[in-house]
Amino acid sequence: MTGFYLRWAGVIVMAITMAVLANKNYQEHLASISPEAVLAGEHSHATLRVQGMVGSGSLTGSPEEGHAEFELLGETKHLKVQYQGPPPENLRELKTLILIGRWDSGSQVFQAQDTALVTNYGFVASAYLIAFLVLVASVFSMSRKVTCLFQEIKESKLYEPELETHVEHR
Amino acid sequence: MMNRIIRRIQRFKGWFGAAAAFCIFYGLYLGLFDSPPDYYQGEVVRIMYVHVPLAHTSLMAYASLFLGSLWYLWKRDPLVDNMCQAAAGLTVIFTALSLITGAIWAKPTWNTWWTWDPKLISFAILLLIASGYLMLRTFVEDPDKEGRYAAVLAIVGGIDLPIIYFSAEWWRSLHQPLSISMRGVSMTGDILLPLSIMSLGLNLLFLYMLMVRTQMLYLTNLLQAKKGRLLSQVHLTQTSS
Amino acid sequence: MWSTGKKTSLILSILLVAGALGYLALGNFGENLVYFVTPSEVRAFSAEQAQKKIRVAGMVVKKSIKTQADPVGLTFELTDGEATIPVVFQGIPPDLFKEGQGAVAEGHWRSDKIFHSKMIMAKHSEDYMPIEMKRAGVELPKKDFMKTLSP
Repeated sequence: MTGFYLRWAGVIVMAITMAVLANKNYQEHLASISPEAVLAGEHSHATLRVQGMVGSGSLTGSPEEGHAEFELLGETKHLKVQYQGPPPENLRELKTLILIGRWDSGSQVFQAQDTALVTNYGFVASAYLIAFLVLVASVFSMSRKVTCLFQEIKESKLYEPELETHVEHR
Repeated sequence: MMNRIIRRIQRFKGWFGAAAAFCIFYGLYLGLFDSPPDYYQGEVVRIMYVHVPLAHTSLMAYASLFLGSLWYLWKRDPLVDNMCQAAAGLTVIFTALSLITGAIWAKPTWNTWWTWDPKLISFAILLLIASGYLMLRTFVEDPDKEGRYAAVLAIVGGIDLPIIYFSAEWWRSLHQPLSISMRGVSMTGDILLPLSIMSLGLNLLFLYMLMVRTQMLYLTNLLQAKKGRLLSQVHLTQTSS
Repeated sequence: MWSTGKKTSLILSILLVAGALGYLALGNFGENLVYFVTPSEVRAFSAEQAQKKIRVAGMVVKKSIKTQADPVGLTFELTDGEATIPVVFQGIPPDLFKEGQGAVAEGHWRSDKIFHSKMIMAKHSEDYMPIEMKRAGVELPKKDFMKTLSP
């Protein structure tokens, strides 16, 4: 029984390490802040990732013209954004996206250098968690049941009485 | 013969478990950290590394139920019957998980959790067939009839497998067609690698689970039979004295 | 040997599975279940077909997306390579909805020959690759999108 629990402890330690690393990876490379947080100055990095929606009717400029200006909507406030260089083709109004760039607090304009898709990391995390929690739980309960069954068959007097006599003879 | 093969493989069951754990952890590392986001779906593409292997494993689980049922009808080996019952239980687990992870993937990519698409319907039907199989087994009490009826049901249900696999090629479907097909492989290497490692890992895990579950059902039946025999012995001694 | 409760549930379970299999086997599934129609089929619709709520799939024509402020929504065109239909959509479109990609719109084909929709879904192809390779112009062997519309 000890070996059984020891193996499972190993699996659980590995799984927790994976989860911690994934969370660290998310915080370092993928996490984004809201336009409100940018305006309130609640940030420390030079390069920011801001998530919001491109305001309807606010987009001017195009990839051909080589520049773009628009408003990025948050829950309550919005940011003025200036895109440095030609914007990507898939930039359109009413799209929620992540802008990567710098906040110019003097002119109150966000200087965007690149865009990224909304990470939706919650979906990724929940898919992995649900799938592996269910799998691990079912493997665990099955193996435990087998171990218990072996124990029960051995311990209960059901098992061949001739075995006992055999032992006594020795 | 099958009986002996199953017993022989059972002895190496631990190695299957260890290999599955290794592949899954390596696949998790590749899928979560060491693979690039997709150009169209972004980070959400990582859900594919669990969803697609889970779906493959469900098909594999049902395929082993199908083949085991054929063998059972031919040879009437009770251990093969236990294996079929185990495979059906695992089909339910894997199918339900692939439907759930599929829904979680569909929301950010398609913009809906569920839609009445041929691939989704035929997959849900697989879940119904496997649960119907298990229900049938609990309701029939005569063990011989139970095994036979269940095997027939599993074989008839086998027509769902090709339907699921090719549905997005045969019918109009929101689900994307097969990425690996006669047309070639429409995935780059760094996306294909975590997918294949995870697929290998989950298939190994399925084999391991199949062995454990078969053993579980076999031992449960054995214990019940032993208890039954003991009771009948008590009964015999009581009546004879 | 069987109690009545068990018998009913046995019959129920068999009916359930038989129903599911019958649905698959009797061709109901493959022939009558049409998940979506194509823009050319919509163009050829009769008046009574136009009453029903339908799904139309096609590729979003490049440079056709125009946003509206009030009510919030957008207009765009869907094509299957032969015919093109205009679509008016009310609401916030999904983030992965973009020009040159597949989309499925759910709604009504009205007498004004415009498709009115309140729900769109993005249909993606089976190719997967990193952003850098897409930007470098790599193409993978995939099914022609227009062919996925009517296999």
